[in-house]
Amino acid sequence: MSAIHSSAGAMPRTSRPLPKGRNRFERAAWLFMRLSGLALLFLALSHFGFQHIIVGTHQLTSEDTIVRWGLAGESITLSQLFWRLYYGVMVVLAMLHGLNGLRQVAHDYLHNKLVYNGFMAAATVLILVATVLGVIALIVGVNASGAAEAFAR
Amino acid sequence: MSALVSTIRATLSYRGREGHWLWLLHRISGLGVLLFLILHVIGMSSAFVSIEIHDRLLEMYKTPPFAIGELFLAFGLIFHAINGTRIAILELKPELWQKQQLATRLSIIVVAALAAPTMLIMAVKSIQAFFGSAH
Repeated sequence: MSAIHSSAGAMPRTSRPLPKGRNRFERAAWLFMRLSGLALLFLALSHFGFQHIIVGTHQLTSEDTIVRWGLAGESITLSQLFWRLYYGVMVVLAMLHGLNGLRQVAHDYLHNKLVYNGFMAAATVLILVATVLGVIALIVGVNASGAAEAFAR
Repeated sequence: MSALVSTIRATLSYRGREGHWLWLLHRISGLGVLLFLILHVIGMSSAFVSIEIHDRLLEMYKTPPFAIGELFLAFGLIFHAINGTRIAILELKPELWQKQQLATRLSIIVVAALAAPTMLIMAVKSIQAFFGSAH
């Protein structure tokens, strides 16, 4: 840290200093991308490998979702708690990783400040809504209350 | 708008060899995976609303357009994961920058080694589901 400060002190700092708050945010964002990326390397690839290669999309039914998430209003088993935490951590990390990545790409291509702000506001709302919906689903579990009539048909 | 066009034109015409193409593919794959992620999470979260809607959405995953999109997703996800690891390692250890070309080729090999069997298995499963014996 001191090495960074001393070398920065030797440079012409009057030219264009970054606002301190933004600088701290960018450092945190940079570190977050590396750490969440490392976690997602294992989480996302294991999830993809399990659901798409071992199980296969064509074998997927809502029964599998019930097995992993549990039913709404019922107590959950230890393995269901594991799956809920696994998906919860993954969905939050992936969404924030994607949001920050999108911000960097948008910053490079959308030069009009109004267009950039509007785009990022819409994208942030969309991503946060999707994240909240996903987390709610993992907290509540599968709602099969209407399924009894469906099976009775 | 012209600034956007010129930025994209410069992105495509800059001749930075493999490293440049990996950089470009990292952005495209990241955007693609993000788009799928948003749709996938909203779709899966339907389970807490009603299992019938959830069932219908799962059936939609088993249609040919989704099966083809899934192959792109597999490549995009694996590429983004491996290439992101290369970027993170090189940034962490600047002394490895002298071996950039090796790192680039190594990650291309690892991506191919992971993506090729993954996409092959998925394609075979889809072909069996679409053209195999009906049940």
